[in-house]
Amino acid sequence: MKLLTANRLNDGRVIYLGEADAAVEAIDAARILDADAAEAALTLAQSRPAVFVNPYLIEVEDRAPSGRDRLKERIRSVGPTVGHSLDFAARNETP
Amino acid sequence: MYRYDEFDAALVRERIAEFSDQVDRRSSGALTEDEFKPLRLMNGVYLQLHAYMLRVAVPYGVISSRQMRRLAHVARTYDKGYGHFTTRTNIQFNWPALQDLPAILSDLAEVEMHAIQTSGNCIRNVTTDVFAGVAADEIEDPRPWCEIVRQWSTIHPEFSFLPRKFKIAIVGAPKDRAAVRTHDVGLQIVRGEDGQTAFRVFVGGGQGRLPHIAQEIAPAVPGQSLLAYLTAILRAYNLLGRRDNIHKARIKILVAAIGIDAFRDEVERQFAILRQEDLRIPDEELARIQAYFTPPPFADLPATSPAYDAARRLNPEFARFTRSNLREHKQAGYGAVIVSLKPIGGVPGDITAAQMDVVADLAARFSFHEVRASYEQNLVLPHVRLEDVHAVWSRLREAGLATANADLATDIIACPGLDYCSLANARSIPVAQALSHQLADAALLEKLGPVRINISGCINACGHHHVGHIGVLGVDRKGEEYYQITVGGSPDEQAALGEIVGRSLPAEEVAPAIARALDRYLEIRNDGELFIDTVRRLGADPFRTAIYELTDAAA
Ligand code: HEM
Ligand code: SF4
Repeated sequence: MKLLTANRLNDGRVIYLGEADAAVEAIDAARILDADAAEAALTLAQSRPAVFVNPYLIEVEDRAPSGRDRLKERIRSVGPTVGHSLDFAARNETP
Repeated sequence: MYRYDEFDAALVRERIAEFSDQVDRRSSGALTEDEFKPLRLMNGVYLQLHAYMLRVAVPYGVISSRQMRRLAHVARTYDKGYGHFTTRTNIQFNWPALQDLPAILSDLAEVEMHAIQTSGNCIRNVTTDVFAGVAADEIEDPRPWCEIVRQWSTIHPEFSFLPRKFKIAIVGAPKDRAAVRTHDVGLQIVRGEDGQTAFRVFVGGGQGRLPHIAQEIAPAVPGQSLLAYLTAILRAYNLLGRRDNIHKARIKILVAAIGIDAFRDEVERQFAILRQEDLRIPDEELARIQAYFTPPPFADLPATSPAYDAARRLNPEFARFTRSNLREHKQAGYGAVIVSLKPIGGVPGDITAAQMDVVADLAARFSFHEVRASYEQNLVLPHVRLEDVHAVWSRLREAGLATANADLATDIIACPGLDYCSLANARSIPVAQALSHQLADAALLEKLGPVRINISGCINACGHHHVGHIGVLGVDRKGEEYYQITVGGSPDEQAALGEIVGRSLPAEEVAPAIARALDRYLEIRNDGELFIDTVRRLGADPFRTAIYELTDAAA
């Protein structure tokens, strides 16, 4: 199965295509796509360049990235695994 | 330090206005990402894994306390409260929003900073010895020359679309503290036969996929002819460099392909037909620029300070810090303090906004408002009175900036790797952290002495792994992170590329393997012999054996 992901235009953050074609930040809210739906999702995202920058499809099993780039996609979905951005998240601030 | 004249200020202002308009058009959808990308890259803006990333130039690593405070303000206001100093002595912000970029650049312009030419196929930020104007072995302060090269190369129409990026480093001393031989062009100040300033010129260095150590092309180019000679090199490169294959486009590939002698012939041909008079640096202009770098008003002090000596005697931790992080100053009674951005278990090169403010305050109070960024991803307070070093250390210590490890094994250079970078194969930071924990013991560190360990998350080599005494390179093996280890690299006047010791290791095995290699060094070194000298004497074999000892036993 697949998910559609991209970076969001206004702040570069990682986004996924969710239900009702919304752009969502949480991978858990991403819509799981079969092969046909995936192609349609890609076309849709490409037609919305004001939101989706560089959209592409990733392979998942139960929303967990599973393809060759699984580690990169996991890090994209959760943020850096180390460092000050985690402290920032812990302080619960918004940038 | 150098201050903008009206041309510099106008140029930066105009660029911000232009970029601001481009950002607006991108936000409104009038520009596509493909159209916008080259424009944002011209202004130091990348799109990384999680966000846009802004790279701000720190020309030749010199920062004022006012600029440092402004960087803190940017980190706090527009980012997540921190920044990352790179091996090119720039600072990167990892989380700016697109619409905030013009405001950030305006805030920076107020303190004479910008992001121009921090990306793209142009001449990048010129780097130099972090101890410029400080080190006693210096023939001449390289910073005025850095500034001259900066002005000449900024938005130079002929050199804005080179085959590939172009990096220049300049040192003023025979000891190379800026890794000049790893640059496209490396310059070393020497005395010409007439006793005047001249430049020994190296060309064709570069790291990345096909690393090369630069070769000497000229032993002593007179200072007045420097820009003409650089122009000749860039013309030769612009004409002959490959543009068909991005991996073969750097000048290092050209020099290696045709040989240094043929390349020198072409440079000399270009040099002969240049309008040299247009490029000669007038004496008055040189003097004008040099005046910006006159030494600060040092006090007339004795060479030693009883208060400093007493503090060292009373406090072993402080004494240790001074042994590792204090460097001699050519001015009696002063020293240069290395501010470590390598806390045990931290992220190499990262600094929080609060820490930036501390460094800015210390620079203002104790170092004539001056801070330097080193390519090893640390900061330096260049002119501290010996009697003030204890006060500086206490404040740095409270702020987590006083790890006593400059040039020691935990002073690790690491690129952001897969935690941030979209080109990465593997993470760099967690490996640096594991290694830093493994080698944390201060007594052990001191016993090991200077060891340069450098980590890159992919072959682009932003973490200088090729020239680490020990280098670590992240590779991707079927979607798993593995690390290739090299031994024997060196960034300095004895520059060398490290030798790959064998098959790559999984992440958790890297730190113990390197620790074994360092233990082996302690067993086999001669009295007083540095790690790199033991490697040069015995080759990589003893270290290879140590690195694979346990894994081979288990296999
Ligand atoms: C946005 C993140 C970055 C990207 C996309 C990036 C990209 C690259 C690429 C593609 C190369 C290889 C150039 C070539 O071989 O022709 C390179 C080299 C290099 N980068 Fe980066 N880099 C990034 C971040 C950094 C950081 C954080 C540092 C410092 C820690 C850095 C410093 C360098 C250095 C020193 C080199 C090798 C010198 C050379 O090009 O010969 N870069 N980078
Ligand atoms: S070496 Fe590779 S992983 Fe590291 S910052 Fe450079 S491009 Fe990214």
